[in-house]
Amino acid sequence: MKDGAKNSLVLWALGLVFLALAGAFVLNLWGTTAPLPTIPPVDPSIISTATVRQSYAELVRTGADTSDFECYVCHEKDKPPTLTFDEKHNLVVPSEHSDIVMGHGRNNRNNLCFNCHDEANLELFQTRDGRELKFADSTELCGSCHGPTYRDWEAGAHGRTSGYWNRAMGSFTKQDCVSCHDPHSPKFPGRKPGPPPHPLRPLPKVAGAKTAGEH
Amino acid sequence: MLNEPSNGTQAPIEYDGITRRSFLRTSAVFAAGLTAIAAGLAPLMKLEDFTSMEEFMQKYYKEMTPEEMAKVLKRIEHQVEREYGIRPHVRDLKPMNGVEYVYCLNLSRCIGCRKCVHACVAENNQSRNPEIQYIRVLRMPHGSLDLDKAVHNYDADIVPEKGHFYMPVQCQQCANPPCVKVCPVHATWQESDGITVIDYDWCIGCRYCEAACPYWARRFNFTKPSIPKEKINPDMAYLGNRPRQQGVMEKCHFCIQRTRAGRYPACVEVCPTGTRKFGNILDPESEVSYILRTKRVFIQLKEELGTSPRFFYYFDV
Repeated sequence: MKDGAKNSLVLWALGLVFLALAGAFVLNLWGTTAPLPTIPPVDPSIISTATVRQSYAELVRTGADTSDFECYVCHEKDKPPTLTFDEKHNLVVPSEHSDIVMGHGRNNRNNLCFNCHDEANLELFQTRDGRELKFADSTELCGSCHGPTYRDWEAGAHGRTSGYWNRAMGSFTKQDCVSCHDPHSPKFPGRKPGPPPHPLRPLPKVAGAKTAGEH
Repeated sequence: MLNEPSNGTQAPIEYDGITRRSFLRTSAVFAAGLTAIAAGLAPLMKLEDFTSMEEFMQKYYKEMTPEEMAKVLKRIEHQVEREYGIRPHVRDLKPMNGVEYVYCLNLSRCIGCRKCVHACVAENNQSRNPEIQYIRVLRMPHGSLDLDKAVHNYDADIVPEKGHFYMPVQCQQCANPPCVKVCPVHATWQESDGITVIDYDWCIGCRYCEAACPYWARRFNFTKPSIPKEKINPDMAYLGNRPRQQGVMEKCHFCIQRTRAGRYPACVEVCPTGTRKFGNILDPESEVSYILRTKRVFIQLKEELGTSPRFFYYFDV
């Protein structure tokens, strides 16, 4: 009697366990994982290869509006514009040119329009060594002061390159200085970064991950 | 088996110690067990694509003849078309003679905008959810190269943030790659142009390489990669950006589908500051040759490990 009861008890228990397991498998109690959190698609501007700005040469090439570069629509020929300075010797930007932020050089050292623009012909540039350059050749103008950077740019080490690294297989483009730098305040502008990685589980809060720069 | 007849009933008939009752009882339990096994195996019914016989019998990459490779590329094109509704152009690009790729990254220029991260994802058909990204941009405090202080999930409104510099890390294409040494099936190897590649059809997903890589550069497909149909890049390479399966490793391959066709990698093309420079170190005229010749400060990340990366970090001086 004893052994038979034990046997039947074990078998009953086993049967129940098996049935419970079968039920759990059918209901997929383990298999259902929480659905992945949705990740919004990345803004197309993040993966765009466009430059920050458009140089004059680029504007001409794409047939865009270049009326900003027609100085003598407003200025008078043969009459160099007069510059005014405040008591700290900073240039007072006239209201007609209010879009210009003067910020070339540390401590506003490059504070004179005619360091680069030609006062005799505003539609040209002048270099310190007396050359006159067209708007489209602004890179040479920059290079007349920024020698090492110009040297690096010529070698392809400064600035953006695109196209074919193998020059034998296709064309290769170097960008002009002003495609990235605003000539009046050349520091490269900051921008909103692309979204950070989306981990499956929330990460421990990192000090300063949300706030802009302590230290 | 021992059986005692209960009161008023006949002794059960026994055959070799098995009574009717014990037989029924055992078979009931047995049936329940079978049910449980069947229920447990039920998810197998949902498996969509069994590996085709062709794929299963496919040879090792280095042993395939050009004709066999052509067949494999056809098969991959069919698979991608069936799954994503777009006919890709899958190529098997071989390394060029006299070319060794080197990557130079200017730490003075990087602003940490992560454009490279997302351009890479778009170019290389990486899974969007869960996310797989080959490039990790580390935000580091000024004056230190201590990777313990690096933050990669910064989310500022404007970068660069004051007091920090940014160091993007991706596969360093080591000349002495630890990941290749540990692979038990030779599914990853270094090609003659310096790119360490993975044959996704040969990888068994053991993740040894992930553990061996000191640059956290390798990614594992824990799930089947999910890529929206309209986001598929149809220009594919066998060792490059063709869609991966579940359970295989992947990593940066210097955009093999682009670079072996002579073009710059996607991260170089998209970088807004010209931080990233790529080219052939064996060509003295290339940008990377110029940089390594004339710039002064270099970092090969974790140089002391002797991995000898082909990825150089430098500063403008």
